[in-house]
Amino acid sequence: MDKKKVDISFTFIAAIIGFMIAVQFQSIQKPNERDTRDIWQLREALLKEKEIQSNLLKQIRLTEEKLAAYESKRKQSKEQALRDTLEELKSEAGLTEITGPGISLLIEPVIEDIKIGDYQTNVVSPELLQRLLNELNMYEARNIAIDGQRIINTTVIRDINSETKIDGHTIKNLPVEVKVLVSDQSTAEKLYNRMKVSKARDEFFIESLRLTIGKPESNITIPAYSNPIRIRYMEPAEEGGGS
Amino acid sequence: MWLPFIGLIIGIILGLLTEIRIPEEYSNYLSIAVLAAFDTLFGGIRAYLQNIYDEKVFVSGFFFNIILAASLAFLGVHLGVDLYLAAVFAFGVRLFQNIAVIRRILLTKWSTNKEKLEKR
Repeated sequence: MDKKKVDISFTFIAAIIGFMIAVQFQSIQKPNERDTRDIWQLREALLKEKEIQSNLLKQIRLTEEKLAAYESKRKQSKEQALRDTLEELKSEAGLTEITGPGISLLIEPVIEDIKIGDYQTNVVSPELLQRLLNELNMYEARNIAIDGQRIINTTVIRDINSETKIDGHTIKNLPVEVKVLVSDQSTAEKLYNRMKVSKARDEFFIESLRLTIGKPESNITIPAYSNPIRIRYMEPAEEGGGS
Repeated sequence: MWLPFIGLIIGIILGLLTEIRIPEEYSNYLSIAVLAAFDTLFGGIRAYLQNIYDEKVFVSGFFFNIILAASLAFLGVHLGVDLYLAAVFAFGVRLFQNIAVIRRILLTKWSTNKEKLEKR
C-alpha cells in the first residue's frame, strides 16, 4: 500500500470535512448574537429610530402636500376644462353609461291572443318602435335604450330580411325592455302618466303586443353606445368663425 | 500520519476565513453532508487499520455518500417526510460501529506492543 498516496487522500478529505464543519458552524452560530446593551444604550437606539421615523413622516407629509398642490393646479388648468367638456360631450353623444330617474317599458306578446297553429311573428316592427320613440321624445325623454341598445341621434331602426334591427342589433326575443331616462323625478312621473294614456299601447295591441309601463324609478341605468360613431359629413369649423 | 490533521485544521481555517454562510433552509443539507463525510472518514481509517483500504472505494464513497445524503434530505423535504432522519440514523450507527472497531484495533495493537516490550 502506498503510504504517501493514502496520506494525501486522507488529507484532502479531511480538509473538505474541516471546511464543511467551519461553514456549518458559522451558519448556525452567527444569528444568535447576544444583545449586551444596557437600558441606556437601548434608549439611545430607540431615540435614534424615533428620529428616523419622524423624519420619514415629515417626508411623507411634504410629498402629500406637493401632491395636493399638483391636484389643485390640475383642476384649475385648461386641460381639465377640456377634459370636462369632452366628458360632457361624450355623455351627450351617448358614449357613456348613464344613471338617473326614469321609467322602463316592457313589450311582450299578448298571451291570450296566441292561437294554436297560428303564425306568430314575435317581431316588433320598426315602424312601431319608431312611433314609440317619437312619442317618448315628445314627452321629454332624454336617453333611451331598447333591449340594452342605446339609442343615439344617428341610430337607425329598420327591417332587414324581416328582422327588426337597431344599429345592427337584432331584436329577436320578446319581451323587450325599453328604458327611458328623464332629467328628474317629476318629469318621470309626468312621462309615466302620459304613457299610461297614450295611443302607443293601442298601437302595440293591434300587433298582438302588450306594452307594460313600469312605475317611475329613481335609478335606471342605460348602457353606453357600443359601436363607434362614424362622422362622414362633419368638418371642424374654422377658428374665428367664417360664416 | 499527522498530515490529515493538518488538512483538517487547514480546512477549518479556510472555512472560517472565507466567512461563507449558507441560508438556514439549507443548513439541514450541510449538516447531513458533514455526518456522511465523517462516516466515510472513519470508515476509511478503519479499513486502513484492517489493511483492506482501497483508495477508489474511499474517495468515491466520500462523495457518493454526501450526495446521497443530501438528495435524501431533499426528497424528504419535498415529500413532507423527515427522510434525513433516516440518513442521520444510518450514518450515526455506522459512525459508532466504526469508531468502536478502530478503538479495539488500536487497543490490541497497543497491548501487543506492550507485551513485546515486556518480553524483551
